[in-house]
Amino acid sequence: MILRTAYFLKRALRNMRQSPVLSMASVGTVAVALALLAFFAIAVLNVQQLTASWGETLAIVVYLDDVPDEKTVNGWVKDIENYPETSKVTFVSRQSAFERFLKRLGDDADLIEGLGAEILPASLEISLGDDWRSEAAIATVVERLRSDHRFNDLQYGQGWLEKLQAFLLLLRVSGSALGGFLVFAALVIVTNTIKLTLYARQDELEAMAMVGGTSLFIKLPYLVEGALQGLLGGVTALGLSFLVFQVVLQKSLGSLLLITGIDTIHFLPLIWQGMLVVGGSLIGLLGSLFALRKFVRFGSS
Amino acid sequence: MIQLFNVCKVYQGDQNALSDITLKIEKGEFVFLTGPSGAGKSTLLKLLYCAERPTRGQILVNGRNITRYGAARIPYLRRNFGIVFQDFKLLVRRTVFENVAFPLEVHGRKRIEISKKVYQTLKSVGLEHRLNYYPLQLSGGEQQRVAVARALVVDPLILLADEPTGNLDPEVTLDIMELFKNANARGTTIIMATHDRNLIRMFPRRIVSLAGGSLAVDDLPLFQGSAGTTGQS
Repeated sequence: MILRTAYFLKRALRNMRQSPVLSMASVGTVAVALALLAFFAIAVLNVQQLTASWGETLAIVVYLDDVPDEKTVNGWVKDIENYPETSKVTFVSRQSAFERFLKRLGDDADLIEGLGAEILPASLEISLGDDWRSEAAIATVVERLRSDHRFNDLQYGQGWLEKLQAFLLLLRVSGSALGGFLVFAALVIVTNTIKLTLYARQDELEAMAMVGGTSLFIKLPYLVEGALQGLLGGVTALGLSFLVFQVVLQKSLGSLLLITGIDTIHFLPLIWQGMLVVGGSLIGLLGSLFALRKFVRFGSS
Repeated sequence: MIQLFNVCKVYQGDQNALSDITLKIEKGEFVFLTGPSGAGKSTLLKLLYCAERPTRGQILVNGRNITRYGAARIPYLRRNFGIVFQDFKLLVRRTVFENVAFPLEVHGRKRIEISKKVYQTLKSVGLEHRLNYYPLQLSGGEQQRVAVARALVVDPLILLADEPTGNLDPEVTLDIMELFKNANARGTTIIMATHDRNLIRMFPRRIVSLAGGSLAVDDLPLFQGSAGTTGQS
């Protein structure tokens, strides 16, 4: 069994060596299709993280014109924390708000030189639970807060969140559509590339059939070849997307993206990386399978 | 060994290639299949190794009816045959050794066994010194000898040769015929399609002659005994 596997592997590698251009075309096609898919996955992943973090921070802010004593504030915090939709309530004093503002201004902090913490209001920042980050839940909480005379200056990033979620949905849908199209295109190209190699080796296929090679014996090296090409394409796609991630996303766009509130830009998780490589092999394998479907015959009937 | 009963083959477009052929070839026989171009010689050979299927009739090989063999059984049937073609059909990107080793790989033989058997067979056709050559580096005669070695390496029960000397000069033709004679002497049944009358005269064997897809003559050479069937029975 092991000897047989080694034999088929050897023949597949030999086939690839004998048709380097066609092999490279297959590998390249799979690599480009999967790399584009990987870029989309990286974008979706990070925007998803962004919406999650914005969803958490951009919940509801209650501005306090007059800051009551600590005991009263703690009472308010507790009251709001008792809402079922609430996951966390944070009191941000004028001073904390001012420090946060200064930090965000960075090098431009001198713009507010001479001004003190009194320019900013204190606030209560209300984060909602994971299951409650919806338009309806925010509206319910806002309604409840409005009905309470203690809180009247409310701000919530509902519009932003919804826009961001819509953008994420668009990204997912377009990514899936484009990804599906690219995978299909890769499949068609791999199928045709392997068909070309089969045409080039038709004499070999005929000879194999003539001396008593079974269908599986004849097809297996080509299936292994397709899977190997797909595997190489998958690995190349992974390398390519990692390179782009390192050079473009982290170095060039990293600082730009940090402004939006993303602390770190993430690459694909390990399982996705594995899926990319396995996906490449599958594309290659299926491409070979389609190419071989009507190719190996044992004479007309 | 081989029996054909009322075999007909009609290709698409109503082209009648074979009509009502009934034939029996015994184990160990050497049969010349003759007739002009288009007589149906190649079609008859193709029917034997299931590259074509008969439109009507039955074919028995080694006692088994192969007429309705499915695709899965054909490879195993073909392992009983060695096939030699006029145009050699060698794999040009493989060495002489690899070409001859090929059928043994298909049969799943062990590597060491393959090496030994290939060397022996190439020695028997006088090409052991060309092991690592590629087919296109050889003369036509040498290429055909490689093709014969590829057919004989598996010790086939039946050797089918479709105009194997058609592209060769007379001297090389004699070499190839010697190889066939030796294989026949070892018990291999040989069916050789040819229209070379000189060859048939030089190597008197049973002659099955086709004309327009029908059996015209089935005759034994005079010195071997009485005449067989003449014409279609």
